[in-house]
Amino acid sequence: MENEKLIANPTIVLREEFDDWAVLFDPDTGNAYGMNPVSVFVWKHLDGNHALEDIEKKLRAECKNVPDDAGVFIKEFIADLVAKGLAGHKFQNA
Amino acid sequence: MSCDEKKIPEYPLTQIYFYLTEGCNLKCRHCWLAPKYHSAENPLPVLKPELFQRIIRQAKAMGLSGLKLTGGEPLLHPQIHELLETVRAEELRLTVETNGVLCTSELAKQIAGCKNPFVSVSIDGADADTHEWVRGVKGCFEAAKEGIRNLVKAGLKPQMIMSVMKHNEDQITDVVKMAESLGCASVKFNIVQPTARGTALHENGQVLSIQELVELGKWVEHTLSAKTKLSLQYSHPPAFKPLSKICRNGGGCGICGILGIIGVLPDGSFALCGIGETVPELIFGNAATDPLEEVWNKTLVLKELRQGLPENLGGICKECIMKKVCLGNCIAMNYAGSKNLWAPFWYCEEARKAGLFPASRVRS
Ligand code: SF4
Ligand code: SF4
Repeated sequence: MENEKLIANPTIVLREEFDDWAVLFDPDTGNAYGMNPVSVFVWKHLDGNHALEDIEKKLRAECKNVPDDAGVFIKEFIADLVAKGLAGHKFQNA
Repeated sequence: MSCDEKKIPEYPLTQIYFYLTEGCNLKCRHCWLAPKYHSAENPLPVLKPELFQRIIRQAKAMGLSGLKLTGGEPLLHPQIHELLETVRAEELRLTVETNGVLCTSELAKQIAGCKNPFVSVSIDGADADTHEWVRGVKGCFEAAKEGIRNLVKAGLKPQMIMSVMKHNEDQITDVVKMAESLGCASVKFNIVQPTARGTALHENGQVLSIQELVELGKWVEHTLSAKTKLSLQYSHPPAFKPLSKICRNGGGCGICGILGIIGVLPDGSFALCGIGETVPELIFGNAATDPLEEVWNKTLVLKELRQGLPENLGGICKECIMKKVCLGNCIAMNYAGSKNLWAPFWYCEEARKAGLFPASRVRS
């Protein structure tokens, strides 16, 4: 599962704010979710080309002071997005 | 006004706001309730301890976990010791909103002995002249500070609440310094609401304009917050708050608790909140005659709110993507100003008209 590419639900709207936080808004349900800058970074990489470990590697390469347990945070965050129907695993042809 | 019974979600009653006294020992210019002035010569009705206890017994079976004692002025209640003992014995989380003037060391210790106590004390200026100009009674500044000292000595870390208006806006920094020196944990800045006595302040231009309020919120949350160890809260609605202030762990945001709360007025009436004292339509029976469970489950207005919030909100609230966490900020206040349960909050409406509503927080 961890090597599967991840993809954001295309109907969800990302609204970035001045302080690098952002709101994820689901126009169908009216639900809004606040995201911190790390979550925003992860969300932007749910493009069907990155798996969980690719995202962690990129985060470590591009950002300073990434905590040791960032991988755990990313894993939990993605699991939460999938559970809420905001993201999913990309369907791969055999 | 019809309600489909099957579709209405059930809400446990988790919190009760007890408005203990019909009178108050202060005469604040901005008071959103406008209680009559209580003095030794003119004592005013208070909630009977038997009713207080009866309501708590009934509510605990319905999910009650905490309560707020407010007023008028809760510490003015002649049987406040007895009421606090009930709260302690029932192991309910206690919140007290007070003007601090009557907070003796004995009362402070009793409050500290309750479960997870949280106390907020109103201070509207960094000096006696300013505070007492707002609060209308000589000597109340030093008395309120003494009340805070008593709370701190009892081991509590109170919150200071300042209602911001033209007369005191230049004292915000000094009020924060005063809160630090007295041992408070936080300062909350309230916006004067256009209800009861606050209406006159709005009409007379003694409140800040919407532009000034929005700017002040940004300054408090970004600049002033960085200069103090205290937690600072500015009472504007969630659409104006940075996400970092309203979200936990970068995940979801907390949900407003209004659908789990009922108010109790000094005569034992149940109400949406204290505003019931001036809006009789928002009163739902009385603890002396009506079982709480029946009131909670059968009152039409409560059912309407459970069914219609937040989707039925109108105006800017309809468009706002924070409406599920905010629920229109304060339904009772919105109603008081419009006689419409679904009216939008005035602050956000004014901000939208002035082009100040954050674009990232509206649907489209
Ligand atoms: S604001 Fe509070 S202290 Fe002031 S008059 Fe109203 S109830 Fe009393
Ligand atoms: S527009 Fe309404 S729902 Fe949105 S933050 Fe303001 S009061 Fe709350």
